[in-house]
Amino acid sequence: MPRPERKTIQLTIDGREVQAIEGAMLVDAAKQGDVEIPYFCYEPKLGQPVGACRMCLVEVEGIPKLQTSCSTPVKDGMVVHTQTERVRKAQNAVVEFLLVNHPLDCPVCDKGGECPLQDITFGWGLGRSRFIEPKRHFEKPLALSPLIAIDRERCILCYRCVRFSQEIAEDYQLIFTERGAHTFVGTHDGHPYVAPFSGNIIELCPVGALTSQPYRFRARPWDNESAGGVCTLCSSQCNVTFTVRDDRVVRVLSRQFDGNPNVDDGWLCDKGRFAYQAIHVDERITRPLVRDGGELREVSWERALEAAAGLGRHKGRVGTLVGGQASNEEGFLLQRLTREALDSSDIDSRGPNPLPADVARVLAAPELQASVPDIEFAHTVLVFGCDPRDDSPILDLRVRKGVRRNGVKLAIATARPTALEANATASLRYAPGGDAQFAAALERALDGATDVAEDIAALATLLRDGGEDVVILFGERIGAAAAATLQRIARRLGLAGRQGAGLLALPAGANGRGLREAGAVPDAGPGHSALDSPGRSAADIGAAAAAGDITALHLFGTDPVRDEPDRALWERALHSAALVVAHASVLTEGLAEHATVIFPAESHAEKEGTLVHPDGRLQRQRIAIAFPGEVRAGWWVLTEIAAACGLDTGVQRPSDAFAQLVAAVPFYEGLTLEEIGAHGVRWPERPQAQSLAPGAEGGLPEEVALDGASESEPAALTNGHLRLGTYRPIWASPECEISPALKFLIPEQQVELSPEDARRLGVLHGEEVLVAQNGTRLAAKAFVRSAVPAGSAFLADGLSVQSANVLTESLIEVIKP
Amino acid sequence: MKPILFDHIDEPGLNTLDVYQRRGGYEMLRQALTMTPEDVLAQIMSSNIRGRGGAGFAMGRKISFLPHGDMVKYLVCNADESEPGTFKDRELMQKIPHALIEGIAIAAYAGGINKSFIYIRGEYQLQADILEAAIAEAANAGLIGERILDSDFTMSLVLHRGAGAYICGEETGLLDSLEGKRGNPRLKPPFPAIEGLYAGPTLINNVETLSTVPYIMRMGGDAYAKIGTETSTGTKLVSISGDVKRPGNYEIELGIPSREIIYGLAGGPHDGHRVKFWFPGGSSSPLLTGDDLDIPYDFDSMAKAGTMLGSGAIIIADERRRILDTMLKVAKFYAHESCGKCVPCREGTNWTHKMVQRIYTGEATPMDLDIMASVQEQIIGNCLCVLGDAMAMPIGSMVAKFRPELEAEIEAARERAEGAASEDVVALGVADEHAGPIPVH
Repeated sequence: MPRPERKTIQLTIDGREVQAIEGAMLVDAAKQGDVEIPYFCYEPKLGQPVGACRMCLVEVEGIPKLQTSCSTPVKDGMVVHTQTERVRKAQNAVVEFLLVNHPLDCPVCDKGGECPLQDITFGWGLGRSRFIEPKRHFEKPLALSPLIAIDRERCILCYRCVRFSQEIAEDYQLIFTERGAHTFVGTHDGHPYVAPFSGNIIELCPVGALTSQPYRFRARPWDNESAGGVCTLCSSQCNVTFTVRDDRVVRVLSRQFDGNPNVDDGWLCDKGRFAYQAIHVDERITRPLVRDGGELREVSWERALEAAAGLGRHKGRVGTLVGGQASNEEGFLLQRLTREALDSSDIDSRGPNPLPADVARVLAAPELQASVPDIEFAHTVLVFGCDPRDDSPILDLRVRKGVRRNGVKLAIATARPTALEANATASLRYAPGGDAQFAAALERALDGATDVAEDIAALATLLRDGGEDVVILFGERIGAAAAATLQRIARRLGLAGRQGAGLLALPAGANGRGLREAGAVPDAGPGHSALDSPGRSAADIGAAAAAGDITALHLFGTDPVRDEPDRALWERALHSAALVVAHASVLTEGLAEHATVIFPAESHAEKEGTLVHPDGRLQRQRIAIAFPGEVRAGWWVLTEIAAACGLDTGVQRPSDAFAQLVAAVPFYEGLTLEEIGAHGVRWPERPQAQSLAPGAEGGLPEEVALDGASESEPAALTNGHLRLGTYRPIWASPECEISPALKFLIPEQQVELSPEDARRLGVLHGEEVLVAQNGTRLAAKAFVRSAVPAGSAFLADGLSVQSANVLTESLIEVIKP
Repeated sequence: MKPILFDHIDEPGLNTLDVYQRRGGYEMLRQALTMTPEDVLAQIMSSNIRGRGGAGFAMGRKISFLPHGDMVKYLVCNADESEPGTFKDRELMQKIPHALIEGIAIAAYAGGINKSFIYIRGEYQLQADILEAAIAEAANAGLIGERILDSDFTMSLVLHRGAGAYICGEETGLLDSLEGKRGNPRLKPPFPAIEGLYAGPTLINNVETLSTVPYIMRMGGDAYAKIGTETSTGTKLVSISGDVKRPGNYEIELGIPSREIIYGLAGGPHDGHRVKFWFPGGSSSPLLTGDDLDIPYDFDSMAKAGTMLGSGAIIIADERRRILDTMLKVAKFYAHESCGKCVPCREGTNWTHKMVQRIYTGEATPMDLDIMASVQEQIIGNCLCVLGDAMAMPIGSMVAKFRPELEAEIEAARERAEGAASEDVVALGVADEHAGPIPVH
């Protein structure tokens, strides 16, 4: 869909000639002329203005009544006055009215010092009130949710939070109750406002009515410093501002509030907003640990490094796993360490069902890459094999925005129903593990085959005829065959080289794309370069370790017992390995049981380095706070281990590692940290990206063999077996587990069933059941979900207990205990 | 003047299709369907009929604002009649519902509209039942629905009952309510004609306006325009209530002197009393006094007199009524009915109500009248919709026109309060410095 055209026009505001974009709201245009117009309810991120607060009234020549500048689009030649007696009187009036029912308890209000109501009262108010009657009273503060406190007396009813809930997050929970001066914000029946994006309303609130429970009374704005950073708790890589007091992160906000339209649009999910608590809790590992007599004990850095140097004695028999939060530099150093010092290419960062190098390389072709804003302006978005809310939450909001504001047609093709079903034009289900078959059928439908299912044929028509700009958003976990097919589909639809169209792949790890490009994968070096002798994938490393073939494991920011499929295999692998060197901030179960050495890992507020967003944007992480305890930088630890293993990396500071990375990756050529700057750079848009162009369709065999889990028809589902799909819920992360505020969100295992299967099995919603397979049993709550197709069942991965990865087969039985 | 809407209004059974058709009902719809929509619109245009709901906007122009094209367009009949003192639509819907249905069908045809709604206030149970029955009759007779009277014109009609909010009589608040949302007014522009119900072009008219449409068709737009004054054409239903001998609904020709309505039709105040003040167009119109009885009753003359014709609800108060009581009623009503969306209305109505209450309790001084007047000024013109103005204009006019009486009320109430307070002190046997009236400044 073509982006709106931007025509510049000229208008006069307070006698100044101002250039502005035609159709921009007057209040924004005025800023171009350094004229400030006060407002409360206006927030362009929330969509159409509502004109409720009446603070932004101005005089427009030719219109008799004062106009709300938040809702008046500028026109060429418009003459506006913001400083006349009439406007001043109206502004004074609105401030006086606003304070009629505002408690003015600024000295004990969290917002004091950064409060728009304070600022506007000082700037545009008369400074006194004639109101002597009693103000309205509410019980306060109340918990709107465990994360948000609400003080209804302070509320000026600006509509922002309600609009967010209704029109941005579309969770439809916040509403206005009662009317007139008795109006208040609440939820239906007063239940708590719990939703993945609820915390945004705290930031939207222009007064102290909505405050963060974890931040409340922890600091005053004048005690705080701000530091820009990037959240690495998921692949959305939102741009954040850390509020820092006394070298502790006390709050996370969207960066500069305007956010980065190319990344997060100014929103954060609650994980990104509140999991900062994990930085400063006792559960965090802040000193090196070494296993001694069966127990992990705190030791000196010297002692821990000495123990880790033992990796050098396992040359050729070391397996390295890299967690998704590692930076590009760390990934780069890890592959150097593994390959150059430990004589191994057994390094993996890709997560379950990984894409092999040849497929990953063609998918990374610059002409196929869609950017995040493309989602918003596409004709059609196909969400395939992922649920953005769980896999990259902030993209869920972006898809909603596109559908709501720009009429983007949304098609969903997944095994598990997503959070976006209600917004979809077309919603298609296939059996878990059937991604490749689905993609193949779609390709055949696009080829004009007539023997495909009706809904797939309709989807093909939508993609082909619904407008040229198609964005395909998919999870890498769909596997090699499906991904390879998607790549061909994208080319067939003419998406290659098309501005505003293409593929957007969500990796399992937050920096999955960057780690792959840095070479932290078994079958490719930095920059997707081919290897003479590829190494083993994570699954094979696990099997080799369990078999005694690999004798040492290096776990950087990951616990395979938690993060990889087949928990039992990894229990055995870790148990069998003679040396397990880990870098972690949370003592997860696999590490607690099996790690030999644990280095305290940096949090995302402490790390310096670069990342690559799923759409190819390189972003910089910066240091916001000093290391707590004895934490040291990850890159430094890696260079020390490398040195102990006989490799001089030549890295003295993180920028050295970055320089080496840039030198090793042809399509990063010439990149500097300055160029990346605060907003990042998309490498697919740089001319150097062409070094990765595969040359038309080349670079990939026409057919990639279907993965092992070959699809069989539902006929196999006899004896009450269900086909198992897994997903990683947004809250399933160690950081959430140790953040006190988020503990209430830690998911318990639940098995999602279709109503048909539930009825057949006699299982009720909420009932405790057992999920069984080959003698393995897992306790779960039944969750009957009408959008789940019969024959499928879904379990959550990434949990500390009863996680889906204890099961290894694709069929399960659900039984009553 | 020969009545138009009220010609046979009390005829038994006029609410049924049979009797209505015997009186020529639906003939005009039949005729309209043989004309082009443009020709039908031309008749409405030339009648120059202005909206009878309160704002007085020319109906024909409203229809002409609807965009042409294939989009789904809507007609919404505003039957929320909630302006205090207004009860004319109620009588129309109760006694001649088919005129409304026929008017809706003709107006929809003129505007190229296929989906119509009647939004009726929740309290009108009887009228809703009657309308519901009339709609069913009309549908059975093929007068609404698919291919009306075998023409190509199709129009559905749905009756929707409100749940008791004044603000849902405001056209955009009504639309939100009809869509199932909280009934809050929307920002204009976009106006409903461009983006109204379900974001489609929408024509919104009052019951009386739409009910008049068949009669305009019958007599011809030009002939209708000859009734009344040049800018206020036709007849108007007025609802007269308060201190008069014969309160009720009357049909008048626009432009006749107000005295003729109040004294001639309604019989004037009860014997021995005189008109002290009156609302010419519902409780939201600024007050007029007994000196203003000769102002012609039409849209422009009322505007010139600083008030408005509004919904045509005339409320008369004789000299026994205290202005303070009226003030409290008006302030309380609007504070209660303010939706709370925009600041000046929400806080201004609430504050005004509290100030008026303070006069009763003896806690006000004459200076509060200045504050009250200033608060009304701060509301007028600064709100999202007209509800704020609907309180501020009459209250402002009361302070301006009855200041001496209000000052006397303040004084008397203070004296009463002080007397009561000192009795309390005596009764308690202690001197309590807080027992007196709350110091004001």
